[in-house]
Amino acid sequence: MSGSPWVPHDPLLLLVFQIGLGVIACSILMLLAVIVLRLRLVYRQRRERRYTELWQPLLAECVFAVPTNLPQIPRGMRYHFLKLWNYHHESVVGNARKNLEVLAEAMRLDEIARQMLTSGNTRERLIAIMTLGHLGDRTQWHELRELVTDASPIVSLAAAGALLTIDAGATMAWLVTVMAAREDWPLSRVVAMLREAGPSRTTASLISAIQAAAQVEGGSRQVVRLLRMMETAHTERIAPVVGQIVRESAEPEVVAAGLRLLQDPRDLDTVRACARHEAWFVRLSAARVLGKIGEAADARLLTGMLADPSWWVRYHAAKSLLALPSASIEDLEKIRDAHPDRYAVDMLSQVIAEARAS
Amino acid sequence: MSMNDWILGLQWFFLLYFIGINSGYLMLNLLSLGSLKRYVEAHSLDDLPRGISGFELPVSILVPAYNEEATIGGSVRSMLQLNYPDYEVVVINDGSKDGTMEALRREFALVPFPEAGWQRLQTKPVRAMYRSTRYPSLRVVDKENGGKADALNAGINASRFPLFCGVDADSVLERDSLKRVVEPFLEDPRTIASGGTVRIANGCRVESGFLTSVGLPRNLLALLQIVEYLRAFLFGRLGWSPLNAVLIISGAFGIFRKDVVVEAGGYRHDTVGEDMELVVRLHRLYRTRRIPYRIVFVPDPICWTEVPESLKVLKNQRVRWQRGLSESLTMNIGLLFHPRGGAAGWLAFPFMAIFEWLGPLIEVAGYIFMIAAYLLGLVSSEAFLTFMLIAFGFGMVLSVSSLLLEELSFHIYPKPHQLAVLLLVVIIENFGYRQLNSAWRLWGLLLWMFRSKARWGEMKRSASWQTGGGKS
Repeated sequence: MSGSPWVPHDPLLLLVFQIGLGVIACSILMLLAVIVLRLRLVYRQRRERRYTELWQPLLAECVFAVPTNLPQIPRGMRYHFLKLWNYHHESVVGNARKNLEVLAEAMRLDEIARQMLTSGNTRERLIAIMTLGHLGDRTQWHELRELVTDASPIVSLAAAGALLTIDAGATMAWLVTVMAAREDWPLSRVVAMLREAGPSRTTASLISAIQAAAQVEGGSRQVVRLLRMMETAHTERIAPVVGQIVRESAEPEVVAAGLRLLQDPRDLDTVRACARHEAWFVRLSAARVLGKIGEAADARLLTGMLADPSWWVRYHAAKSLLALPSASIEDLEKIRDAHPDRYAVDMLSQVIAEARAS
Repeated sequence: MSMNDWILGLQWFFLLYFIGINSGYLMLNLLSLGSLKRYVEAHSLDDLPRGISGFELPVSILVPAYNEEATIGGSVRSMLQLNYPDYEVVVINDGSKDGTMEALRREFALVPFPEAGWQRLQTKPVRAMYRSTRYPSLRVVDKENGGKADALNAGINASRFPLFCGVDADSVLERDSLKRVVEPFLEDPRTIASGGTVRIANGCRVESGFLTSVGLPRNLLALLQIVEYLRAFLFGRLGWSPLNAVLIISGAFGIFRKDVVVEAGGYRHDTVGEDMELVVRLHRLYRTRRIPYRIVFVPDPICWTEVPESLKVLKNQRVRWQRGLSESLTMNIGLLFHPRGGAAGWLAFPFMAIFEWLGPLIEVAGYIFMIAAYLLGLVSSEAFLTFMLIAFGFGMVLSVSSLLLEELSFHIYPKPHQLAVLLLVVIIENFGYRQLNSAWRLWGLLLWMFRSKARWGEMKRSASWQTGGGKS
């Protein structure tokens, strides 16, 4: 090659030439890797399909009884089986669920899950955590608790979910404080978990956590988060605590989040006071709550809010006016015809049209 | 300096430039590999049955439409069937000259509806607001023509929810597209924008507004664009995401926090790249004001779009994109090397400026110089071959690596013969297509320099995929 007129003699150019050759070789290797990956994928999918055909009827049989002839799970198919088992477990209730758990015990799924829990592969750890949760396996309680503090929000949330499934009562108080502190846990997932645990298990822990957080200076972010979580709790039990927080807090975010939870007419004065708050989103929350617990006398306050600078406050004030006891579309029309503010008139026209259309 | 020194200097400049640009892309590739691995692992249990928490953020889907009579009905119908608990669809007819408005009226039984205006963003006058009597979550804004940015701003004014999602009228969405792209907002409250991967619908089968089978187009140009899109999305954008330096969220499907966009002034009317310009502006504003924020890219293939199948239309599109890029960068030049610019100002912006904005100029000049100099005997055959080896070799590595990323993650094209075709395409696209693209982009750059007038990006659509007919 060194004698070829195409190969550079200049050492620098030769280096670049060699980089070029290396890059071409790299692309060929990558092309081969694509082909190998595809072949592996096809093989894996075929294998999974074959085993699914074998296992699916077995798992479906658990709806009626625990099957007797249990197959072996090949090592390479353990993840797939656990996924199938969890899928079925999440899809059924009652006896079928219990039968699936008996089947899991007979097939020693707990052992498999325990081994996978220490795997370096996140995918395997996740399925292991979920399985241990569904099996109610207390032997890994300590390990799962440790995983709740894992840096990965995906792994830590899954571990929290598993702990709640195993014994919500034993872990709720601690988990609620973690849920409030871990802002990397999406609120929607946290709420879904709390909702699944049920208000009887969550309410007391949420109340204690919010009372503690409210005492901490600069803890308003946690308080707001806890207030959102409290939407899953017993409304009557949380009302006094929430009412007090709304009355005492100087943080508009806290007040707005608290207002959303107020459903007791005894809190009406607090809500009315918030209707004049300087933050628009607090006024918005107040307007919405007045639509739920307001009295006919609140029509005056809401009519005034129709001239609010915020579109959203005007919109919800108009909707709440219509939701007040004994209010009708005709009443709204009268208010519209008499209202001096152009924006209020436009908003009332819109809400009247919406009400007529629905 | 002698003539020979100049020639030698230029020869090394072009060689080093080609090595530099491609090494940069390879670095992005490596970053993407990590992100993609984490993403796929984190979503490995997504297919297990899960309920809806009720805490999903409501979203307004904004569909600006200009002369979209042929496709608007099907597109809007598909958008009305998404798997998401709380959303509305707002179609903005931007003074179409064809029967777009009539098609909407007919298909969705629209009636005029009084709406209290929320005019935070200035737009061309709105003629009327309509509401569908069949679908309560569908509203239509009929306004005077003002361009796509103006239409989007009118949509923002009309929208009801805290997040809005700009969608092209010809886009086909996955059923759970909103769920996936909203996820970053739930995971991190600092998120202000999120975009998803756009894939090519040509050759696919679409029924009732949804993609039912993935196929490859018969048209060579569309095939070449498949690999190009893989490259653009799987590492061109995903690579920047962990650094919080994504500068482009496709106008075909991107989601934003409404309050943030309104505060930033909405979409600008004086650019053809309003989608990119908005994202770069948000980076600039948030970085310079020291407000913590995140702009995220979701690698899931969630939106499918039709790409040009003729050279003329493709050329126009690429010219427009290059102009959009030029405008977006120059309008936000303050982000470049700003002391508080972070990865966006110190890495992504200069990278875009050198390799994407001015890149075509240097690339085309490089090819012309090397070929001309070789033919005139000014550079040696060794130097010429080395240049070609670097240009084509790196091009191939990048194309193949995008296919490798795809194979490691989503395997959208499931059939072996589809993969075989793509393997062929990743090689042949380097011989002609890429160079042609660079030439078109250079033309776009020149047009931008001479400031020709911006207008709606009109594209002749075949919409053949809407009735099937693709190769499966």
